[in-house]
Amino acid sequence: MKKVFAVTLGILTAIGGFVDIGDLVANSLVGARFGMSLAWVVVVGVVGICLFAEMSGRIAAVSQRPVFDLVRERLGPRAGLVNLGASFGINLLTLAAEIGGAALALELATGVNYLLWVPAVGLTAWLVMWRVRFSTMEKVFGLAGLALVAFAVALWQLDPDVGELTRQLTSPPPDEPVPTYWYYAIALLGAAMTPYEVFFFSSGGVEERWTRKDLVTARANVFVGFPLGGFLSLVIAACAATLFLPAQVQVDTLGQMVLPAGLALGKIGLAAVIFGVFAATFGATLETALSSGYTLSQYFGWQWGKYVRPKDAARFHASVLVAVIVATALILTTVDPIKVTEYSLVFSAAALPLTYLPVLMIANDPDYMGDKVNGRFSNFLGTAYMILLVVAAVAAIPLMIATKAGQ
Amino acid sequence: MRGQDARRALAAVTVALATCSVSGCVSPAWDDHDYALKAGATAQAAASSVELVRLAVQGEHDLTTAYLKVLLTDAAESLGSVNDQFGGVQPPSDASDRLRSQVTDLTSQAEDEVEDLLIEVRRGGIEQPDEAARTLERLGSELRRLGEAHR
Amino acid sequence: MTTARTLHAQLHLLDRQVVRAEDGRMICKVDDLELTTDEQGRPYVLAILAGPLALGPRIGGVVGRLVVGVTELFRPEEDPGPQRIPMITVSEIGSAVTVGGDVQEAALEHWVRVNVIAPLPGSGVETAAGERRPARRGDLTGRLRMSDLIGRRVVDDSGALVGQVADVRLSQDGPMLGEVQHAFRVAGLIVVPRHTGQLFGYERGPAGQAPALVAAVVRRLHRNSRYVTWEQVDVIADDVRLAVPTAELAPLAGLHRSMSR
Repeated sequence: MKKVFAVTLGILTAIGGFVDIGDLVANSLVGARFGMSLAWVVVVGVVGICLFAEMSGRIAAVSQRPVFDLVRERLGPRAGLVNLGASFGINLLTLAAEIGGAALALELATGVNYLLWVPAVGLTAWLVMWRVRFSTMEKVFGLAGLALVAFAVALWQLDPDVGELTRQLTSPPPDEPVPTYWYYAIALLGAAMTPYEVFFFSSGGVEERWTRKDLVTARANVFVGFPLGGFLSLVIAACAATLFLPAQVQVDTLGQMVLPAGLALGKIGLAAVIFGVFAATFGATLETALSSGYTLSQYFGWQWGKYVRPKDAARFHASVLVAVIVATALILTTVDPIKVTEYSLVFSAAALPLTYLPVLMIANDPDYMGDKVNGRFSNFLGTAYMILLVVAAVAAIPLMIATKAGQ
Repeated sequence: MRGQDARRALAAVTVALATCSVSGCVSPAWDDHDYALKAGATAQAAASSVELVRLAVQGEHDLTTAYLKVLLTDAAESLGSVNDQFGGVQPPSDASDRLRSQVTDLTSQAEDEVEDLLIEVRRGGIEQPDEAARTLERLGSELRRLGEAHR
Repeated sequence: MTTARTLHAQLHLLDRQVVRAEDGRMICKVDDLELTTDEQGRPYVLAILAGPLALGPRIGGVVGRLVVGVTELFRPEEDPGPQRIPMITVSEIGSAVTVGGDVQEAALEHWVRVNVIAPLPGSGVETAAGERRPARRGDLTGRLRMSDLIGRRVVDDSGALVGQVADVRLSQDGPMLGEVQHAFRVAGLIVVPRHTGQLFGYERGPAGQAPALVAAVVRRLHRNSRYVTWEQVDVIADDVRLAVPTAELAPLAGLHRSMSR
């Protein structure tokens, strides 16, 4: 049983990274508009995040250094600060969106307007980060997010035309313009490989006090958690492609996104999925809020982490608190949480290379890694992904402007 | 660090553009063709909302009241804003006027229908889901046809 | 006697995490290094400098000036300096720099704990709000900082520009610090032609070869980089002036073979 629970860090990271509010809607939107023709991006994203999360987990286990520590160490104070600014900003936007998402899930469950839920969600999230132990937190929210598996059951109940879905894999709908297709491809790649996933995962490894002996645990987390997250993404897209694509319905709210589960499984299925959405977005709230503390502390060298008492990591806990307050205030301005994350996904695609290049370099540095440096296979794939990420980063913002953000 | 300054400037421009596209700045219609394109897009967007509500109404017994309420409120709001935005565009000629009334007739009907359903849901449930679904289906397909014709 | 340990200041020391030996608590980053000179006028590392007053100048530009300015505004003394951790307390240099003894905590940490964290329920802080931290004297003299050396222009004996200092090679054979430890002394400079970017450790040869493409790109950018031994340096003034012509300098690629690790 202990072994089963050992992978909850990976599950929480992946659920928070893959099926948080932005991805839930993005996957559904893409499924409804493009069918399964962008599924390959999710697969590319899963392989990429597995690759870099494995490296960062290995670095954390061998040298106890989390990712943002490496960013500053290898890129120096200036480029590190640019990355800090970008990552922290994206993180804050995402955090705001996740708080909004959890509140929207509560609105779907109760019918009470989400703005009334926002302060409660913000406060509860902060209390969890303030009082609850890291391992308890990751178990509860990682496992609760698994309720989203109900989407898989829903897909089976919807009885999709498998032949049609398979055909869509290779043929994008003819009436969508090519730049829009690529805009969404980059958004999905950004969603799968969001930098805060590795910030959180590697810092979580340090919080769990991984050592060389835990390398197997680190790998198991990566290879169970992220593919699971990717699987859920694909299932959600397939549900949308089955139900919404034929009716030509455009998905742009969380309420629309859970409809397939309700229609296929009835009230119980609907409740399960709404619970799963809440758990996933709330988990992502914790993940992004802690990540803002992690990145800031690791850049400046402050003591961080939930493994010490709050009084010993005062600046870290204060940053988390301030981030939660600012994000809650941001979402209370009634800005649409879903739009916020759709933009932050594209901006994060533009920031990807600055985060993953130092990881790739340190994973090859024998001073840090001793005999656990990357093998040829990891390096080959890592180099290929660096090229891919640079291309995506360069293309992200021009495409966003050219397609008016995918309209 | 000139590159950084340039990057910052680019980011500022992007944010400005992004804000504009989110808040849905409506540009004026330059000619009949442009107006027709806008009309088509409006009809498509409305059709999407109507179809969604139809799906939900058909499966009404599988969904909770709270959820239906939220879903229909969203749909009514989005139909309302589509209507308002299109209504704000000045038709450039008499020929466009006809198209305008065609589109707004349908979208207003759709908005009314969804709002009526919302009231029924708030009172405890949709009274005649089958009939409502048929009405929505008719509205949806007419809107869709209009959208297909002007694209 | 075994050969002295060799390090590169930028690569192995600057921007690494500093942790406390007794419990592994994180203290700060190596924001800068303080240098002083031995009898032969050769610089060696005396202390680690940390805090905004050390980091600010390295960031540079408006942001860097702002960091320094704001910090100085809140420091009571006339000429405040960064926090200084003597090299003598350093017990290990690895993926983090481990220091022994008690290092005074940063002013911001103290302020945040007393004013933000302590009032929150369940913080476990017993100290009353308003408790003052013993003031620290600004203890920096006008000595050379590592960051002043890195980035400095290098000219050869005829005054022709060679490039700028990208990294400083240190070897542990300087004067004794205390009873047992030798200081890290400047052994040479890595000089790069223009602003070709960082070396990222790929100058170390066999130890820094993977992934091949990244290594190749970095090496290609640095094909004209040179390694200058301390003996070839004439004087360090506004520029680093060499005693030899550019042609006599060893290419950086030659360093790979001489590096032991």
